[in-house]
Amino acid sequence: MKLARPLVVLFLLAALAAPSLADSPAIGAAAPNFQLTTIDGKPFSLADAEKSNKAVVLMFIATKCPVSNAYNDRMRDIANEYAKKGILFVGINSNKTESESEVKDHAREHGFAFTLVKDPGNKVADLYDAQHTPEIFIVAPDGKLVYHGRIDENQEQPTKVASPDLKNALNQILAGQPVAKAETKAFGCSIKRV
Amino acid sequence: MLLTSAAALGAEATKLAGDVDAKGLADAVAKNKGKVVVVNFWATWCVPCREEFPDLVRLEKAYRDRSVAVLGVSIDFQKDLPKVEKFLADHHPDFPNYIKRSGGDDQDFIDAVDPKWGGELPFTVVYGKDGRKAKVLSGKQTYADFEKAVAAALKEKLP
Repeated sequence: MKLARPLVVLFLLAALAAPSLADSPAIGAAAPNFQLTTIDGKPFSLADAEKSNKAVVLMFIATKCPVSNAYNDRMRDIANEYAKKGILFVGINSNKTESESEVKDHAREHGFAFTLVKDPGNKVADLYDAQHTPEIFIVAPDGKLVYHGRIDENQEQPTKVASPDLKNALNQILAGQPVAKAETKAFGCSIKRV
Repeated sequence: MLLTSAAALGAEATKLAGDVDAKGLADAVAKNKGKVVVVNFWATWCVPCREEFPDLVRLEKAYRDRSVAVLGVSIDFQKDLPKVEKFLADHHPDFPNYIKRSGGDDQDFIDAVDPKWGGELPFTVVYGKDGRKAKVLSGKQTYADFEKAVAAALKEKLP
């Protein structure tokens, strides 16, 4: 026991010294539950959604961010393709600068058929420590986080994507395999928090 | 004649210092060893980046004689070079600005700059005089935030 205390102190010091940047739930950790109302006025609960789908894809997106907008067609197509396979897609708009009516108009304009929620006070973005748009989290039916990162590596040229990371992760989940590349990164617009 | 000179001067201020990959950027930081180096990552499509940029221009002017250097790195696509040049022409930074070299996987660049960086912009890294990372600043900062980080790296009290 005498040895344990200095170790605990060292651990705490190390934790304090760590940069206070992205502090999202780790891969394999429980994805924080949340409840919001969709832009269609329906209740949404992550815990309920986990139970009735093969995975839930949370997508922090924006209406005005050019990087997020570069992915509008890809998000629509991937969501349509994988919805048929039992995956639920939820677009989350946490930007204080973008209103619910803008989110509705944007969804209509781009043909989004997936669930969309407005995140007042960026509470869900804070739960996940989501930093930018687009940023993706995949939650498995057991409530654990299995992927965090980008849609793919090529923002600029959708026809030249070499690393379709979101689709790869979904294919592996559907095949009952662990996600090989569970954390990826890309540039994006910072989420405009309150 | 006067007009031509002014136009020429304007054109000079819009020039990028070149494109950089992670190694090129590390070399540019290393060349400033002995100074506190503030590296700011921005893009013309990033509204908070555009908003904070004038504070970096001001910071560089205020601290250039106190061993502080500022470097800018645009994350814009190559196709948006004219927008980048116009942005620089509008703001006239007295510090070099690079553009991230196109190609490769952005994740490698992001991780090389800072493993805790998720890729959000703007993003700023302050290096101490010894060339080591002193502070990382995620998201839009105020002039006071920049000054605080620089003063801490210089181990100075704020004026």
